[in-house]
Amino acid sequence: MRARYADGRAAITRDAECVLGPDAITFTVHDAQHIWPYGDLRRADDGAGAIMLRRAPDTGERLMLDQDAAIELRAAAPTLFTPRAFGVEGPVVVGGLIAAAWSMAAAFLVGVPLAAAPLADIVPPRYRDQLADISWSQVEAFTDYCDDSDEASRVLNDMAYRMMTAANVPAKDDIWIIIVDAPIPNAFALPDNSIVVTDDLIALAEHPDELTGVIAHEIAHIERNHVLKNIIRSVGAGIFFDIVFGGAGTGQAVAIASVNLASLSYSRDDETDADRRGLDYLDAAAIDTGGLARLFDRLAETAGENAENSEFPSLFSTHPATAERAAMARARSRQGLAPSMSEAEWRTVRSTCGVVLDEPETNEAPPKPDAPEGDVKPT
Amino acid sequence: MSVESAPAHSFSHTGKFTDVLALAAKNAGLSVATLTLYRFWARTSMRRRLWSRVNVLGDPLEYTGTAWELFRGFLISLPSFFLPAIFVFYIAPLLMDPVLAFWLAAGFYVFAVPLVAAARYWMRRYQLSRTRWRGIRLGLAGSARAFAFASFGWTVLQTLSLGWYTPLARMNRAKMMWENTRFGDQPFEFVDDGQPPQKGLWWPFALGWFALPLAYLVAVLVVVAVAAGLAGTGYEPPRFDEMAPANIMIFSISVVLLMALLMVFFWAPYNAAAMNRIASLITLDGARFKLKARTLSLFAIQLSGWIITILSLGLLAPMAGFLQVRYVINRLEIIGTPRFAEIGQSVVDGPRTGESLGDAFDLDMGVGVI
Repeated sequence: MRARYADGRAAITRDAECVLGPDAITFTVHDAQHIWPYGDLRRADDGAGAIMLRRAPDTGERLMLDQDAAIELRAAAPTLFTPRAFGVEGPVVVGGLIAAAWSMAAAFLVGVPLAAAPLADIVPPRYRDQLADISWSQVEAFTDYCDDSDEASRVLNDMAYRMMTAANVPAKDDIWIIIVDAPIPNAFALPDNSIVVTDDLIALAEHPDELTGVIAHEIAHIERNHVLKNIIRSVGAGIFFDIVFGGAGTGQAVAIASVNLASLSYSRDDETDADRRGLDYLDAAAIDTGGLARLFDRLAETAGENAENSEFPSLFSTHPATAERAAMARARSRQGLAPSMSEAEWRTVRSTCGVVLDEPETNEAPPKPDAPEGDVKPT
Repeated sequence: MSVESAPAHSFSHTGKFTDVLALAAKNAGLSVATLTLYRFWARTSMRRRLWSRVNVLGDPLEYTGTAWELFRGFLISLPSFFLPAIFVFYIAPLLMDPVLAFWLAAGFYVFAVPLVAAARYWMRRYQLSRTRWRGIRLGLAGSARAFAFASFGWTVLQTLSLGWYTPLARMNRAKMMWENTRFGDQPFEFVDDGQPPQKGLWWPFALGWFALPLAYLVAVLVVVAVAAGLAGTGYEPPRFDEMAPANIMIFSISVVLLMALLMVFFWAPYNAAAMNRIASLITLDGARFKLKARTLSLFAIQLSGWIITILSLGLLAPMAGFLQVRYVINRLEIIGTPRFAEIGQSVVDGPRTGESLGDAFDLDMGVGVI
């Protein structure tokens, strides 16, 4: 059998005459005989054309055989036709990689949220303030301060303080509510225990208990330290993505999507927790939870939720489905309780930031509202 | 000793589209299943496939790198690059003064320019050291640090000149790379042919440079005309204040895609000219190289790669690399024959730590080509 041999010392090939033995290939080049045991050989080609053999460890020598020699060589040395001979990883490596990847993902899914709670509790005040500054800079980027909101803020803070006192909220002296002018109906808590309420949310609320329900929800976020936990989870996720899931393309997108879905689940758990705790506050302060239920109903109409699509947005949302939240609030509703704010207080709140001027009093059950623009999710 | 035959085509690439596509699809599937951890094995198998289909004077190239080497390089890059990056981009913004954190991030980006150049050099050094022909190893000598700093300077000049230094910078980088490239113990040379290295590049570059605003205008006009045609209305300029957000997004994406298409087209003459010019200045033991890249064919190859990459959501991006490698190899010729009997084994040691930052910066773009 004819072949060509490169000795690994010069970039030329020499003609060789080969004989395939039972344990080794023997070839002669210029009267010099070489014996290469099959067990020491690897394939240097990729199996698609001419056969190129090398020794292991690599000496730089190469023996090149025509493709026609494949049948004879396979019969003599079948191991040279296995994936391992080509350096292709076996199923053990692939299985190990799959197991390692999903184990790391699982470790993230379990480990980071587990670590987030104790870490959030020991964040020093200095860093908490630093995070609050960053949050405020982001809030200020899309909101404006309402010059006439001092009195309305005082009303909301007094109401919240009464509620927190009744519910024995430990941080009641540290929590402060601020009204801002923003184009979206929303409320959210910041790391420095501030609660930001937008004027559009006040405009959306048709009864003081609706707004109070949202504020109770935000107070629960602060009491449970959800804000810092969420920041730690987000940073942990970012680091995890960057380190483990390098590369690019859809593979990375799938990895990120998988972990993001889990993150959403934790966010929804936080929201459900804050919903329950907020309803506890309302109960303790003798405030009807039906107000919050009505607000959620209106949101459900606004978001266009219906039986057909309610599961999908719930799965991919940071919040539980609005209909479920409304049902939970309605289940704990008690009739005949006094509104959480007096008519005068509610009028003060409603008149801030130019929300609603000269409107009729609505301390009774609110009428069915018109579907407003925008979206609101107490966070 | 066998006599060196002189094939009609001194370089050829015998890779088949479907064959490479099957491997790319398998790699994509396993990359998804392993949350991208398989990428080191995917790159290795793709390189092995692409290299082995390159025939030089009748003998194939050989890729000897292993996935474990790439994986080891990735592990090494964790503390040396990822930890500082994590501090700068995740920790510092949360815990440091915002202004200081901003300048830290800005400094990191500036530092990343030479670092990317160094990573490119390390990556090429690794790939060449794992490439053999007739058992003889290729290699890259020289200092990655020197290349990084020089490259940083050229980048500054490119920026200050609004891009007009780019042809010179490209030739400078090519010269530095090729003068340090070795086949065995034989260095490649980047010769002085008596003409400026950037000869013939200015007009094609100017075409690409001035095409930017033109491409934007043409893209907007075409998209508006098509949209008006579909809507059955006459020509009207887009009114973003009256458009739904989804329509604004569709409009913007259409303009960007069409503009990208036009830019690839208008830059193709420059890219083809630069590739041909660089090849013409490379010699190995007196043998010269000639590349016949042409504008339209190069544009077609690049466009095909783009389409495959976009339609596969990036999963089949290696196909774009394959098409380009095959294009270049099949249009490359060697003029003259080096004295191969005089060329001995490489004395340049290859790195043992894979490509390290090459993965961090995704310089390969998952394509698996040089």
